[in-house]
Amino acid sequence: MTTQPRFRDGLVASLPIVMGYFPIAFSFGVAATQLGFTAQEGFALSLLIYAGASQFMALVLLTSGAPLILSALTLIAMNLRHVLFGPTLMREAGTDASTRWAWIWAWGLTDEVFVQALGALSKGQRFSESYMFGLGSGAYASWLAGTACGTLIGGGMFEAMPAVAAGLGFMLPALLLALLLSIMSRRQVPVIAVAGCVTLGGTVLAGAATGILAGMLAGAVTGILRR
Amino acid sequence: MNAELLTVALLAGLANWAFRVLPTRLRTDRLPGGGWSERFLAATGPAAIATLFTAAILPSLTLDLAQNGPVVVGVLTVVAAYALRPSIVLATLAGAVAHGATVGLLG
Repeated sequence: MTTQPRFRDGLVASLPIVMGYFPIAFSFGVAATQLGFTAQEGFALSLLIYAGASQFMALVLLTSGAPLILSALTLIAMNLRHVLFGPTLMREAGTDASTRWAWIWAWGLTDEVFVQALGALSKGQRFSESYMFGLGSGAYASWLAGTACGTLIGGGMFEAMPAVAAGLGFMLPALLLALLLSIMSRRQVPVIAVAGCVTLGGTVLAGAATGILAGMLAGAVTGILRR
Repeated sequence: MNAELLTVALLAGLANWAFRVLPTRLRTDRLPGGGWSERFLAATGPAAIATLFTAAILPSLTLDLAQNGPVVVGVLTVVAAYALRPSIVLATLAGAVAHGATVGLLG
């Protein structure tokens, strides 16, 4: 495509993401109500955080009584990888690409939106902020709609369906594993191995909160020490 | 609304906005790379996700190996689905469906 892609093109390109996001957001909404949060609280997490794995983890941390600062830092550390999305995308877009409205559309740069946008650029499509708006809007709307449906229907509906409840309950480990696979590289293997082992040891010896903090720090330090 | 939830959500959301918007708006792709800060940024994400995956999967595992069937099937399905088509969403959904189906089959 050599013409400037429009908002509508971005919206159409978001359809595969829309279909994938809705059920994951739905399961998040169900999980939130199962853990005792109100529909408004579950929806607020999706509206304000808009990052699947972080939101599931927020539910776990908030219900486990973890200190507020540890909860916030854990969620922030999870999404630190997003700082690499914008520069990677703009490098592909070219030096003359506009970022005038990036303070709005870049909010929608989730893992899937980033991959979709980067894929389009690598196939020769021109960069346009309108396209990014369309792509991000479809995905965000789907995420919010899925959450709203999940919180309104709630977890009670699945009490008589243990297989469905188990599948919904496995959504967080599955999402984290898929994210891990997406950022896996030979260089990061020692970081991942150290973080996983220290978390395991720390959790067994001193509990989950200590294990999580120790695992993250050990992994990050391993990354700094490697040249 | 729960004040602690709102505080955590606002802090995490603000950080997310900054991580996604500022490097894009400031065109940090034009800056020279390298250094310990870049290694720290590159390592923190994988470290956090590996940590949280370990923490999330641990409560599902038991010493009775036969009871771990649904978790093993779910994990293997995520890996296989991602290897076939590298999509986070599809691999997540495939893993959850396989896990739920195994729970249903084993009763």
